[in-house]
Amino acid sequence: MQGLARWFVAATAALVAATGGAAAQVKELRVGYQPSPIQDASIAMFEAWGAKNGVKIVKVPNSYGVYVEKMTASLTSNSDQYDVIWHNDDWGQTWAHLLEPTDDVAANKFADKWSMAPVVFANAQGQNTVVPMGQTFSVFFYRSDLVKPEEVPKTLAELVTASKKLQADGKVKFGYVGGMSMNNSWFSWFWSMWGNNCDVLLPPYERDNAKLAAAGWKSSMTEPCMQQTVEYWWDAINTHKIVPRGMPAYDRNEANAVFMSGDAAFTVADSLWWGTFNDPAKSKIAGKVAATRFPLGPDRARPFAWDDIWGWAIPKSIAPERKKLAKEMLEAMMLDKEGQKKLFKATGAPPPNTEFWAEIAAEDSFMKLLKESVLDSPDKVRGAYYFPQWPAVHKAFNDTVTRAVTGKREDIAKVLAEGAPLVSKAAQ
Amino acid sequence: MPIVTRPDFLPGLPKWSRKTLFALALLGICFAFAFPVLWLILTSLRPESGVYYVHRGTEFTLSSFAEVLSDERIVGAFLNSALISTLATVFSLLVTVSSGYMLSRFTGPAPRIWFGTIYVFRCVPYISWVLPLYFVTQSWGIYDTYTGLLLPHIAVHICFFSWLMKGFFDGIDPSMEYAAMIDGCTRWGAFIRVAVPSALPAISALAVLCWLFTWNEFLFALILTGNRVPMITVVMAQFVTEMGLRWNLMAATAVMALVPAFLIALFGQKYVIRGLRI
Amino acid sequence: MFGEQQRFVLLLIAPAALLLLLFQVVPIVIGANASFRDWALYNPKKTWIGFDHYAAVISDPAFLYVVLPNTFLFMVLSVAGALVAGLMLALLLNRPFRGQKLVQTILLVPLMVAPVVAAIMIRWIFNDQFGIVNVVLEAIGLEGQPWLVQRWSAFGIILLTDIWLWTPWFTLLLLAGLQSLPKEPFEAAAIDGTTTWRVFRFLTLPMLRPVIVVCVVIRAIDAFRTFDIVWTLTGGGPGRSTELFSLYAYVHAFLNLDLGRGSAAAIIGGLIILVIGVVLYRLVDRIAKA
Repeated sequence: MQGLARWFVAATAALVAATGGAAAQVKELRVGYQPSPIQDASIAMFEAWGAKNGVKIVKVPNSYGVYVEKMTASLTSNSDQYDVIWHNDDWGQTWAHLLEPTDDVAANKFADKWSMAPVVFANAQGQNTVVPMGQTFSVFFYRSDLVKPEEVPKTLAELVTASKKLQADGKVKFGYVGGMSMNNSWFSWFWSMWGNNCDVLLPPYERDNAKLAAAGWKSSMTEPCMQQTVEYWWDAINTHKIVPRGMPAYDRNEANAVFMSGDAAFTVADSLWWGTFNDPAKSKIAGKVAATRFPLGPDRARPFAWDDIWGWAIPKSIAPERKKLAKEMLEAMMLDKEGQKKLFKATGAPPPNTEFWAEIAAEDSFMKLLKESVLDSPDKVRGAYYFPQWPAVHKAFNDTVTRAVTGKREDIAKVLAEGAPLVSKAAQ
Repeated sequence: MPIVTRPDFLPGLPKWSRKTLFALALLGICFAFAFPVLWLILTSLRPESGVYYVHRGTEFTLSSFAEVLSDERIVGAFLNSALISTLATVFSLLVTVSSGYMLSRFTGPAPRIWFGTIYVFRCVPYISWVLPLYFVTQSWGIYDTYTGLLLPHIAVHICFFSWLMKGFFDGIDPSMEYAAMIDGCTRWGAFIRVAVPSALPAISALAVLCWLFTWNEFLFALILTGNRVPMITVVMAQFVTEMGLRWNLMAATAVMALVPAFLIALFGQKYVIRGLRI
Repeated sequence: MFGEQQRFVLLLIAPAALLLLLFQVVPIVIGANASFRDWALYNPKKTWIGFDHYAAVISDPAFLYVVLPNTFLFMVLSVAGALVAGLMLALLLNRPFRGQKLVQTILLVPLMVAPVVAAIMIRWIFNDQFGIVNVVLEAIGLEGQPWLVQRWSAFGIILLTDIWLWTPWFTLLLLAGLQSLPKEPFEAAAIDGTTTWRVFRFLTLPMLRPVIVVCVVIRAIDAFRTFDIVWTLTGGGPGRSTELFSLYAYVHAFLNLDLGRGSAAAIIGGLIILVIGVVLYRLVDRIAKA
C-alpha cells in the first residue's frame, strides 16, 4: 500500500511538473547518470554534500543503450534537463564544445594528469571540460589458485602454452576468454594489439588528431602486426583451442560469465570487475582471482598500461547559478576522502583524487597492484580515439577483424586489406 | 452431422498411434513455443552466480526478485506501465474505430487519400523518427510526462489499427445502419449505436493486442522517458550498464512483467479469436 | 463549405489524423529534412547538401550487396515461415481435443514477453558455452556449434526468433478466419468424399484469402524494418553478415550520431518497402485467387 501511495504522490508530482512547475528552484541539482556501482558511489558523495548544504540531488537514471544519443540530442537542443551528466573519455571530443569549462574547479589539480589530457577533454579554446569520477581501465585477470604469480604468462606465446598445460591437466576448459564483438574489442583485440606495437590507426598509440590527419588517417590493417594479431586469435580458436569457438561473437557479459563459472583461467576485464569476480554470491571463483599486467606480443618488450577516466560534466546551456552550484558540488566530491575510499571499496576503481592513492594502496593490496602496474606506469595507452567519427572507425575495425578471424586462415591478409580503406574512410 | 471441417489427423494410421503421435506433436509444439520463457523463469530463480550456467547446479532462490522489489521505482513503474498501456489502448481504439469505419463505409477521394496516407506512414521505419520524436516532445515541453509518452504510443497504432478496423467493418453488413438512418437515426447515431456494437468483438480483440504491445514496447519508452514516468521496460533497460548486464535482475523483472501480460492473454484470447475476423 | 456527409467523413478521421500529424508526420518531416542537410547530432550545422547522403547510401557497396539482400531474404523467409507455421497451428487449434484451450494459451506466450528480453534469452540459449542448446547436443553425443559466429546459423537464429515472435499473430488471425467460414461447402465436400488435402487446397485456402493477404502484406512491411531482435541477437555480425536495413540506419543515426545519413538510409528503405507492399498486395491477391 505504501508503494501505491508513493506512486500517487510521484504521479501527481509528475503532472504538476509537466504543467510547468519546473521553475527556478536553484537549491536542486539534476544528475543525469547511468546506474552502476561507480556512479552510485560518486553520487553518494554528491548526496552527502547536498545534505550538508541544503541542496536536493535529483537523480535521473538513463539506460546505457541510448545514453550517448539522447544526451547528445539534449545537449545540442539546449534543453534544460540536467545540471551534471556522466562523461566518458570515449566521447570527450564529441561533447567538448557543448560543455562548461571546468578549469575553475580548483580540486581538479589533484586529478590524474594523463587521463585528463587536453587531447581527450579540452575544447577548442584549450579549456578542460570534465571533473573525474574514477579511473576506469582493464587489467589481465588470472586464477590465483591455478597459476602461481611467477608462472603468469608474460607474452602472448606463453599465454598459449600456459593455457594448453592447464587444459591438458584438466584444470579448466579454456585458457582464455574475453569479449570480442563490436563495442567489446578492448577485451581481446585491443590489448593484444597494444601489446604488439599495434593500434587501430597509424602511428600506433598516437591520439593527437592533427598527427593522425597528417598520417592520412591510415589504418594499420595492412601492417604485419595486425595480421599477427588476427592470426594469433585464429590459432587460439582453431589450432590451439584455448578459447571458446564462439568468442568472436562474445560481449563482456558472456566472457565474464564463462570466467566466473570457473571454465577459463585468464581474462581481460575492467578493473571494476574485481569486486564482482571475488563476490561469492556472483562468482564461483571468489577469492581465487588475481590481476597483473597484459602479456606482450613478439614486437614489444616494454610493458604498457591502459588508463582512462570516467567523469562528470556540466552542460554549457544551464543557468550560471546552477553552474556555480554544480561546480561547488564537484569540488566537494573531489576532496571527499571518505567517500572516495568507499568508492574504491565498492568498485575497485581508483578514485579521482590522486592524493588519496598512496593511503589506499597502503591499506589494500589490489590498489597497490593497480598503482604499481597501471597508475604509476610510464608507458600508458588510451582506450579510445578522440574524434567524433571514432564509433564508426571502431565498428569498421571490428567488422573487418571479425570477418578475418571467422574466415579461412589463408584469407586473413586479403580480408584485412579489404577492410583497410573502410577504416580510413570512416575516420574522415 | 459429420464434423468435416476437422478432418482426421494422419488418416492412414491406426487410431491409438494417431492419438499418441498427435499428443507428442502437440507437446513438442508447446514446448518449442514456451521454452524461451520457461528458461527465463528458471533463470530468474537461480542465484546470481548461476544465471548464465542455468543448467549447472540446483540451488534456487527468490533473491533476485527481492532485490528488484526493494527498488522503490519498481512499483511505480508497474503502475505506470499498466496505466499507459490501458490509456493507450482506450484512446487508440477510440480514434481508430471511427477512422476504420470511415475507410470501410465511404468511397471517394477523402477515404482514398486517408488510406494512402496510412499506408505510406505505416511503411516509414521507426528508426527514422524516434529521434526527431524526442526533439518534438522536448520542444513542446511534454518530454517525460504522461502526455508525452501516451500520445506517441497512440499515434503509433493509428495506421495498423485503422487498417484492421476497416477490414472488420467490411465484414459487417451495412444494411442495419441504413435501416437505422431511415428510422430517423443521424449518421453519428447509426455509427455509435449500430455499427460500433456490432464491431465490439473485433474491438475487444484489438484491445487485448494493443495492451500487450504497449506493455512490451521498448524503443519508444526508452527514448521518450526520463525518470518522472518510468515504464517497466525502461527500468529493465537500465539493468544494461556500460559495465555489463545485470541479467538476474532483468530476468526477474521480466518475469514479473509476464504476469499481467499472461492474465490479459489468458482471459482475452477468447475475445481475440472471436473478434479477429477480417 | 462541406456537405453534411463530408463533414461526417472528415470528423470521423479528425482525431486520428491530428495525432498522426503531430507524432508521426512532424517527426518524419524533421527526419526527412535532416536527410538533406549536414546534421551530425553533436554538431547540427544544418547546412543544405542536397542528395549527398542519398548518394552516399546508394553507392555504399555494403548497403547494396549485403544489407539489401539480407533484408529481402529475411523478409521473405520470415513471412513465409510465420505464415506456414501459423496456418498449421490454426488448423490444429480449429479441431476439438482435450487441452485445446491450454495449447492455445501456450501458443500465445511469445506475445507476452518483451521482444528485447526474449532476444537476450535466446542469445544466451545459443551461446556455445553455457547455452542449453549446445549442452543438450553435447549430452547426446553431438558436437556443439558456435552458432553466432557463423553467418548462416546466426541468420537462422534471427529468423527462428522472429518466426517464434510472430507466429501467434498469424495463428490468431487465421484461426479467427477459419472459425468464421461458412459450414455448407465443407459439408457438401464431405458428402462427395473429397480428400482432406483437396478440401484444404480448394476450399479452406481460397476462403482464407482475404485474411492471408492482409497478414502477409502487413507482416512483410514489419519484417522489412525489423530492428530490436537483430540488434540484440547479433548486432548485424559476425562482421556485418547479418546486417539488415534498419540496423544500417540505426548505426548511422545512433552509433555514428549522423542523423542526416541515418535518415536518408531510413527513407530509402521506407520507399523500397512502399513499393514492395503494393506489388506484394497485388501478387498475393492473385496467387490466392488462382
